[in-house]
Amino acid sequence: MAIVSDYQTHVFTSTYTADVSGVCSAMYELGGMTIIHDPSGCNSTYSTHDEPRWFDSDSLMFVSGLDEMTAVLGDDTVLLKDAAAAAADLKPRFITLCSGSIPHIISFDCKGVAHLLEKETGIPVLPVVTTGNRSYLNGVGAALTEWIKRFGNPKESPYRNETPVLSVNLLGVTPLDFSVNDNVKALQSAFENSGIPVNCCAAMGESFDSLSHIFRGAVNVVVSSAGRRPARYMEQVAGIPRVEGLSIGSDAHSQLISLVQEAFQAKITSAPAQDTGKSTGSSLRDLLSKKKVESVPSLSAQNPVHPRWDIPEGQILIIGEEVFGQSLAYAINQLPKPDRQGLSAYAVWPDTDHGFPEEELIHLIRKSKIVIGDPLYQVIPRSADTHFVDFPHEAYSGRIYRKDIPVFAGPEFSVAELISNKNL
Amino acid sequence: MLETLTGEKKEKLAQYHREHQKERLTAAYQEIGDMTYEYSADIGLAYASPVRGVWNIVHIATLVPGGHQVFVCPTSCLRGVVLTTAEMGRMDKMSTITVGEENILEGDMEEMLQHGVERIIRELPEKPRMMMIFTSCIHHFMAVNYQRVYRILAQEFPDIDFVDCYMDPIMRRTSPVVPSLWRQMHRVLRFTQEKNPGQVNYLGNCFPHTGEYCDLTAHLEKNGIRHLEANSCKDYEEFLSMAESSVNFLFHATGMAAAKDLSVRQKQPYLKLRPGYSYQEFDEDLAIASDMLKIPAPSSEELERAQQITEAKVREAQAEIGSIPISIDYTAVDCPLELALYLLHHGFQVESVMVDHFTEGEEIFRQLQAEAPKLRIYETYGWNIRKMPRGHEGKILCIGQKSAYFMDSDYFVNEVENAGMYGYLGIQRLMDLMLDAFRNPKPMKDLVQIKGWECGHCE
Repeated sequence: MAIVSDYQTHVFTSTYTADVSGVCSAMYELGGMTIIHDPSGCNSTYSTHDEPRWFDSDSLMFVSGLDEMTAVLGDDTVLLKDAAAAAADLKPRFITLCSGSIPHIISFDCKGVAHLLEKETGIPVLPVVTTGNRSYLNGVGAALTEWIKRFGNPKESPYRNETPVLSVNLLGVTPLDFSVNDNVKALQSAFENSGIPVNCCAAMGESFDSLSHIFRGAVNVVVSSAGRRPARYMEQVAGIPRVEGLSIGSDAHSQLISLVQEAFQAKITSAPAQDTGKSTGSSLRDLLSKKKVESVPSLSAQNPVHPRWDIPEGQILIIGEEVFGQSLAYAINQLPKPDRQGLSAYAVWPDTDHGFPEEELIHLIRKSKIVIGDPLYQVIPRSADTHFVDFPHEAYSGRIYRKDIPVFAGPEFSVAELISNKNL
Repeated sequence: MLETLTGEKKEKLAQYHREHQKERLTAAYQEIGDMTYEYSADIGLAYASPVRGVWNIVHIATLVPGGHQVFVCPTSCLRGVVLTTAEMGRMDKMSTITVGEENILEGDMEEMLQHGVERIIRELPEKPRMMMIFTSCIHHFMAVNYQRVYRILAQEFPDIDFVDCYMDPIMRRTSPVVPSLWRQMHRVLRFTQEKNPGQVNYLGNCFPHTGEYCDLTAHLEKNGIRHLEANSCKDYEEFLSMAESSVNFLFHATGMAAAKDLSVRQKQPYLKLRPGYSYQEFDEDLAIASDMLKIPAPSSEELERAQQITEAKVREAQAEIGSIPISIDYTAVDCPLELALYLLHHGFQVESVMVDHFTEGEEIFRQLQAEAPKLRIYETYGWNIRKMPRGHEGKILCIGQKSAYFMDSDYFVNEVENAGMYGYLGIQRLMDLMLDAFRNPKPMKDLVQIKGWECGHCE
């Protein structure tokens, strides 16, 4: 039976974190003040479900408390005055301004207001245009990009030196994808133990000052699709190459390290025109044409190709963020056949604008033999033949299963054990 | 290029900020003697503390037996309500329809709403008796004709009651969401001319008001009168039978919209009991309630006896707690200022009250100003308190989760919205809870972050 995609109605399933929370999450540790321009609720949702660091730290995240009259009149001076008053008291190093769905539909000029606020306070203000309708991945990516644009220095690119040294930046790192267990530490150790220093981890465990040297990294590793946008930006302005993938199990780790080394080698042997620290595309047309044909080295390139919502029956289905899902699928597919019961793994991930079409997802779950996903997906009725492997994801189920999130980053993680009989 | 502020401009800016903040706290607290009754912390940027005990609309709507909630809003708004439901383990009571960019551009909100609800009904394993459809801020601004959709759905599914509900915090200053929900939840009651003199309703209560801690319930039970409240209805039929009740009682202001609505629609008179700490008000309200129900009011001997027991309990608690400072917050009790005054009159050392605006009578405020001008008033959602170092020098007993969080105290009464306590019995119970909190520390960090205190008793 042909299924008509309905991305909007969710009879059983939850929803992923929204863009505004993604912005706050990315900026959390950098010493700034983040303002969500919205009526109310966004901040408590973020601090309750999307921010595991909230209780024990004093990072500055606020909601503007937009009300009906202010919205109807389009009176941005209320926000300007409130933000200036708070900034005068709290003296943040920078301010990030994003907005929810109501400012979006009344055409709130985020960039314009950010500019005015910066003039009034003398504090740098980053406008991050959000709508409240999109995924956290958009929010994290946009916020990191704005931050890097403002505070990073492309002139620090290692390719300006005669003998660049290999190091990596890990892009897209937030608790929404990596929680607050030891995943980030494991991820950093994985590279360092392979002889590749980690320059920056954007943006967990970094300070304002340390992250400002992000352009010193020689290769950007996009460990969550949230990191794509800043990686693309850094490639355009400083020619820093990027690869996509997550070190998850020994096979994926080895392959990722190889991809990083290859990207570095390719870069240092490439034409000098790309080493000037300037954009590799000279016009919008160039950039667009480049985007169409761009091919980023990634773990996913070696996974079996399949149409987005049509995977073969009776296989392993991974539900989650794209880079995570593709990397885990790669890691499983590298196992000897008996270790994966002769099955192949396929990843599906939510669209960043729409999420999942629930009916199609139900269909995929029902026809798969093993499903690896957040435990909240277990509310979908399925047959007894489908085995579900819980793999909690903070951006989906929030804090509910936080204590069950495994340390999956790094070569030590056993992919075989994940799908071994004892887990099924 | 940004202009550099000159000295003159900087001074003007500083002056502007001073004036702008005249009516708000410049630090995390100020003393009540220096304040005006018009104080409100609901201006400026708002902070959300990690304290999560207060119920939201999802917890309340889940009380309806046989009800199913559909939230129609953008992703950022859906996230909170969905995970609230998931944390309750009640995803079977909720579905969602995400408002997308294309709906905004194409103006097809009505079609999306109708088809979405139709699909939900089709796919749910069991057809719900009642569907509460929550539209959001964006629907107001897009002028969505959702009433037309509900009419169509009602014709299509005549055995389901469709109720329009609202999650529209943009309207919070003129139409707060919680009172609106309590009103809408009771719109399904069918009009019944015949009323049952032996049955009454309690409106707006998240927590059951049992005869153990509530004077009114004890009095009604003594007179053979049954009370119904959303939080204890066993099935949808019983919920609908609230239409037969002769009087509606409410203990919180949040139930007022429902009471007024039912007084017109169901011809049910209502009485709001004053949830403070005045013995005289308790006695008066019980007398009025008795008069409405045509039952004898408690005798003066009974009331005197209740008063004596209460006073003895308070003395016992005070003797043990002694001069240990106390902090009270507005999430625990409806009348934090009145409780502060009551405790001060009984020898307790109340040090602070956490409240974002004064909702109690001005006379209570004035009395506190006169009798305890040094009483600290903390705002809980202004930006200043975010940077306030949490903690207290020495032991402090807190009444409420927010006090406990900001004072960083494990000695706290873990309750929300009066927790079903009212009258003399309520005060007696509160004294027991204070003593218990004083003696036995609790894991504050774990407890205050749980969403919806005691929501386990939802259907």
